[in-house]
Amino acid sequence: MRRVLPLFRRSLADTWRGLVGWTAGILAALFLYLPLYPSIGGNGQMKDILESLPPELVQTLGYDEITSGPGYTQATFFGLIGFVLVTIAAVGWGTSAIANDEENGQLELTLAHGVTRGQLYAERTAAVLAKLLWLTLVGVAAVLVLNEPAELDIALDGLLATATAFFGLVSLSAVAAIAVGGMTGRRTWALGAGTGVAVYGYAVNALGNQNEDLAWLHDWSPYSWAYAEDPISEGWVGLIWLLFAVAAALLLIGWLVFRRRDVAV
Amino acid sequence: MTERSAAVTTRGLIKRYGSHTALHGIDLDIPRGRVFGMIGPNGAGKTTTMRLLLDIIRPSGGQLQVLGEDPRTGGSSLRRRVGYLPGELHLQARVRGRELFAHYAEISGTVRAGTVESLADRLGLDLSRPVRSLSKGNKQKVGLIQAFMHEPELLVLDEPTSGLDPLVQQEFHAMLREAKDKGQTVFLSSHVLSEVQQTADDIAILRSGRIVKLSTVGALRESAVRHVHVVVAEADFAAARSALIAVPGIGELAETGDDGATRALQTTINSHVDAFVKAIARFDLVDLTIEEPDLEETVLGFYGTDETATDGER
Repeated sequence: MRRVLPLFRRSLADTWRGLVGWTAGILAALFLYLPLYPSIGGNGQMKDILESLPPELVQTLGYDEITSGPGYTQATFFGLIGFVLVTIAAVGWGTSAIANDEENGQLELTLAHGVTRGQLYAERTAAVLAKLLWLTLVGVAAVLVLNEPAELDIALDGLLATATAFFGLVSLSAVAAIAVGGMTGRRTWALGAGTGVAVYGYAVNALGNQNEDLAWLHDWSPYSWAYAEDPISEGWVGLIWLLFAVAAALLLIGWLVFRRRDVAV
Repeated sequence: MTERSAAVTTRGLIKRYGSHTALHGIDLDIPRGRVFGMIGPNGAGKTTTMRLLLDIIRPSGGQLQVLGEDPRTGGSSLRRRVGYLPGELHLQARVRGRELFAHYAEISGTVRAGTVESLADRLGLDLSRPVRSLSKGNKQKVGLIQAFMHEPELLVLDEPTSGLDPLVQQEFHAMLREAKDKGQTVFLSSHVLSEVQQTADDIAILRSGRIVKLSTVGALRESAVRHVHVVVAEADFAAARSALIAVPGIGELAETGDDGATRALQTTINSHVDAFVKAIARFDLVDLTIEEPDLEETVLGFYGTDETATDGER
């Protein structure tokens, strides 16, 4: 009667309430913001407002493209509200996967059973990524539903490209929290790593936006790898793959340390 | 080959945490089918030893075999043959007891149908309540059931009765006897001797990461300190006193009473009960009391005080 992926299923079963909450949050954000596009972004007045704001602020928020449907969706959801919300979820789940479980003493008991450390690490990572993928798909579905009524005029290819970049970006924060949790077993370190990756990426990207002399900073920001080339309008461009490559490398390092170290000391 | 190997064998087992050494080379042999108790004060290394068996932590030196395999390489298949109760049990799961056991059953050895229910019944645990809402004692029952439910070849139980009321403790002791009758091996730890005394065949006393005494409970009892109380006639007192001083293993003699006609003496003796009785039998005894051996006192003697305080606390 042994079924597959026991730890993966356990993780999902333990956190489905949270997932429902985040799903509702994503939908609420999208259904509040996107229908406003015809009256805000598509309206010539918005351009005037943006021109009256300090350019540094506009560039930091990524609102320079806000007057097109794809630009508006990118600036409000994928680049800001959605990014913040799902990053919070990602870091929380990533921290829980190993570090939190270890600090509150439950990991010891699980590992004393018939599972290997690699299996636990892999299944719990898969559970976090599956939940992030779900939230991304919810976002994609909501944008598709609103595309016509909100006059967004987003091409499917661009939407999938930016959603992939989005998924890669939030996964990188989650994976940083999982891997550092795997290496140290400390909640604060895991939390700091996940949050740090997101804040660092956003800040460096914003600095890189300020002027041409600082544009090289984009090479060093995961946020820029995801969005600097404007995938929602341009499709599969930029360094989206690099997000996944770095995440994979982090996971590997985390696993190598986790399988060797003492747990719960 | 595996069948004949001891349940647990360690040779020179060392565990260091940074500059602090938790285990200074432990040699243990736990034969199959025995109940082996390990006692020692807090920080003596009991939990460290048990975690090493489960591969939760890794040795810094020495050898370790569990059911004939190295825990590092035995992996998940070895751990399915072991039941473990951690010393600090934390159960925060929102799920009900029944679901939690179903989950643990998936990642441990085969659990026969009805086992969880019958264990829960014996210990008095409500399986329909969310685990995190249970009291400490009831969480401990959850921990015990998940350790016992797949009838593992080896049970590793770190302070198993902590938080249990006396009735449940008795039921637990019965579970230990049944496990032993079925040929399972039990390795349990405690900081109270009485528990180990009631359940274990063999005993190891651990202090500051070293085994200071390995013995059977029976042998420990024989060698244990007994308090004796002797009342002799006034006329015999001086002679009795000098006769007693010559008895091997006798403690300090204290005079505890003098009513003019008789005088009372109090002292301790160890295993030399025979020599003591023969030495005292020559005199006119008014009263003689030999108390039950006090194992606790014997064990405290092994614990010591000075070294433990400096080494064990780090």
